[in-house]
Amino acid sequence: MSSRDATIIGYLTVLAAGITLQAAAIRRPDRLPSLGRVLSQVMQSRTGRVGVVVAWAWVGLHFFAR
Amino acid sequence: MTDAGEAAENSPVTQTRTGPPSLGRAAMAGLRQPIVAILLLIALFTSVSGKPLDGFLMLAVATLLIFDAARSGRQAACGASAATASVAAPAGSRRNAPRRLLVKAAWFAAGVLYCVVVGSFRRYSWPATAAVVALGCLMIAIGWQGPLARRQPLNGEPLRRVWLWAAVLVSGGVLELTSLLQQPHLTTDSYAHPTISALTDPVLASSPGRSAILGGWLVTGWYLVSR
Repeated sequence: MSSRDATIIGYLTVLAAGITLQAAAIRRPDRLPSLGRVLSQVMQSRTGRVGVVVAWAWVGLHFFAR
Repeated sequence: MTDAGEAAENSPVTQTRTGPPSLGRAAMAGLRQPIVAILLLIALFTSVSGKPLDGFLMLAVATLLIFDAARSGRQAACGASAATASVAAPAGSRRNAPRRLLVKAAWFAAGVLYCVVVGSFRRYSWPATAAVVALGCLMIAIGWQGPLARRQPLNGEPLRRVWLWAAVLVSGGVLELTSLLQQPHLTTDSYAHPTISALTDPVLASSPGRSAILGGWLVTGWYLVSR
């Protein structure tokens, strides 16, 4: 397995972990928070809210802006 | 939640002192916010990887957040919270359903138009930069004003397991950073250690691909500001 394959498998593993966690949270909301609920919690304060939106804006800038 | 209320939550300085903290102490409280630290790290790594505009914008917002935390912390310590507390009325509660549907359809059409037009611009061109920066600034301004909806705060077992999400996000970030640092140069992609940006380059090379990615970005942004 090449380094490239290992790197891509690493990304896919993280993605799969996120999907698994979200599925588990939907199935048992009393035990696990979904990503949406975590984001809501983080975004209750202005710092958290702006921070999360800025992180989102950065993604757009990173992929499209000069 | 009001500015002062947030400050009481955000600023540990205000909980341990009877009078208003000094500006320096209040600013340090802002600097200790994890989100601010993350933004400063993004600013640093983005700047050194050849994207000074991104880095400048992150740095500007992090600085504004520090000043905002400092200002709010001092206001809260002065006892301004009681005077300014208010509860916003739920937005759009009096609108009727057909009107709401029409507004949603208009927003959807505007979003699709944005994705198609901006997706037709070349990546890293000035028109694409202007369009993305403008939308990003607009969303940040909306986010700065306050949440559009009240949500039940997490507690109990779900709150204790938030770390699982943090672990997933940190793992992704560490993997991306490891790939970035293994490139021959910070501005030169590596085939052996591709970053997420490098992996998405083929999709973003075409106009429909850019429009699709922009659509996902736009939907995510709308979801976030409506939390």
